[in-house]
Amino acid sequence: MTASILNDTLRRQIEDLHTRYIRTIDDDRLEEWPALFTETCLYKITTRENYDQGLPLAVMECRSRGMLVDRVTGLRRINVYEPQRYSHQVSGLTVEQIDERTASCRSNYLVVRTTGDGSMILFSAGIYLDRIVLQDGCTLFAERVVVADSRRIETLLAIPL
Amino acid sequence: MNPATEPLLAWPAEGVTRAPYRVMSDLEIYRLEQERIFRGPVWHYLCLEAEIPEPGAFRTTMIGETPVIVARNKDGAVHAFVNRCAHKGAMLCLEARGKRQAFTCVYHAWTYDLTGALRSVAFQKGVNGKGGMPPDFQLADHGLEPVRSVAFEGLIFGTFSEAAPPFEEYLGPAMVAQIRRVFHKPVEVLGYFHQVMHNNWKLYMENSRDPYHATILHAFYTTFKLNRLTMEGGITLEHGGWHSMNFSKGATMRQGEYEGTGIRSVVEGIGLADPSLLESRQEFADGITVAIQSIFPTCVHQQIYNTLALRQVVPQGPFQAELHWTVFGYKDDDAGLRNMRLKQANLIGPAGFVSMEDGSVGEYVQRGIAGTGTDSNAVIEMGGREIASTTASRATEATIRGFWTGYRTLMGF
Ligand code: FES
Ligand SMILES: [Fe+2]
Repeated sequence: MTASILNDTLRRQIEDLHTRYIRTIDDDRLEEWPALFTETCLYKITTRENYDQGLPLAVMECRSRGMLVDRVTGLRRINVYEPQRYSHQVSGLTVEQIDERTASCRSNYLVVRTTGDGSMILFSAGIYLDRIVLQDGCTLFAERVVVADSRRIETLLAIPL
Repeated sequence: MNPATEPLLAWPAEGVTRAPYRVMSDLEIYRLEQERIFRGPVWHYLCLEAEIPEPGAFRTTMIGETPVIVARNKDGAVHAFVNRCAHKGAMLCLEARGKRQAFTCVYHAWTYDLTGALRSVAFQKGVNGKGGMPPDFQLADHGLEPVRSVAFEGLIFGTFSEAAPPFEEYLGPAMVAQIRRVFHKPVEVLGYFHQVMHNNWKLYMENSRDPYHATILHAFYTTFKLNRLTMEGGITLEHGGWHSMNFSKGATMRQGEYEGTGIRSVVEGIGLADPSLLESRQEFADGITVAIQSIFPTCVHQQIYNTLALRQVVPQGPFQAELHWTVFGYKDDDAGLRNMRLKQANLIGPAGFVSMEDGSVGEYVQRGIAGTGTDSNAVIEMGGREIASTTASRATEATIRGFWTGYRTLMGF
């Protein structure tokens, strides 16, 4: 029953991946964000409203690393939005090892958004549902599904959660 | 002058080529809108029939600030009524959607059927023959406030006003045709977006009708040649411009006009790492790839390539509005097309490559016009001063002048 015993090293690598994820976004190093995902990844932001009803519509849905890169290009060069920053708080990580190189994880997140004039709002809270794989000694997100508790989005969602 | 008879606002002498900024922030004007527009002789989008497919199914929605329930009765008929208990005014139904035999108020258990009629009052006859309602109390006198509703090609609209014209007449033939064009077979809801905008509801209505901004503000459109004013297209108006549609045909683009103008909307030397985002299928024989229809006052019906959606604008005070998106496809979509719609949904909604800017641009206006005096107005002269359909150019704001025409008529300004 190797599957039920979580390999310590893997657990540490998964925690490390979570930290790097927060750093790339909160430190505005978005160019490094796609590299945390596999080539054929799924990154999806949905709401509890759609998720619980089994409705497939996502607020943002990237079905490849290329689509993550395109989101970053959009943010840097195409889309117009007020300067803003996120502060992520992630907690309650649970890891279920599926096999030697795959784990299914869940954690809670909370994102505070601060805009240029200093206004600060509790922008989003919810859960991350992840499938994390070990590839060439590195952990990567094969899948990250963000389920936001609120169906409402304030103004716009530019930067990924 | 007697302040009671003085109109709240004197519209600028130029007419609808100007819109006074005051209508975006004045609380009294906002209150009057609730009465004259949201309770006025117009039709408001409520929901899709597909959302309440079987008897007992209901969905809650809004007309302006008033909460509304739309339910399908046992006999299959659709009924709409105000979501407010006739006893003490408690909101009757807190869920967004579901299935019920009846609506029972949590406060004192007054119970209404699916038509909104009051069926029972807890302890109506009192307890041990004491207390209870007066003997002449009639259940029939205390139903939920009805909303006149109409189901048209799968869409449900409602009005509080007996004076609202018959629905098809209200829309006009071109608007009816656009609804029929999209709703020609059964649809299926793919999901919802809800977006809070910190601006007056009318700033979003202007924006949704504005073909002038679309290819300038939304650089994604222009950069990836999804929509440009150099494509064939046009604007179609009905009911004197109260309703409008702007449309374009993606395959007909001419080069030029944008290049070398310095308009920031064409970002040079850019490509998509995963161009599959822009794969689309021609679903309509007319070649129209983007069609944004705006039904006065607050309904927007969109086709952007293969994304189909209804947007309902819900005012929440003079400085806030919530945009409710219902995104749909067809029941008989094949897997490839369904997949394409969901992928293209990256273009729309609060995180849409194309539409994210619309969630904030109204707020930039709202912040910009703060502190303006009573004589400050927006200038709406693009495309001349007339209000008419055209396929000659979409460099026009005739659609916005049409909105203000409807607004002034209803508000008496
Ligand atoms: S308020 Fe609804 S029963 Fe009293
Ligand atoms: Fe727009």
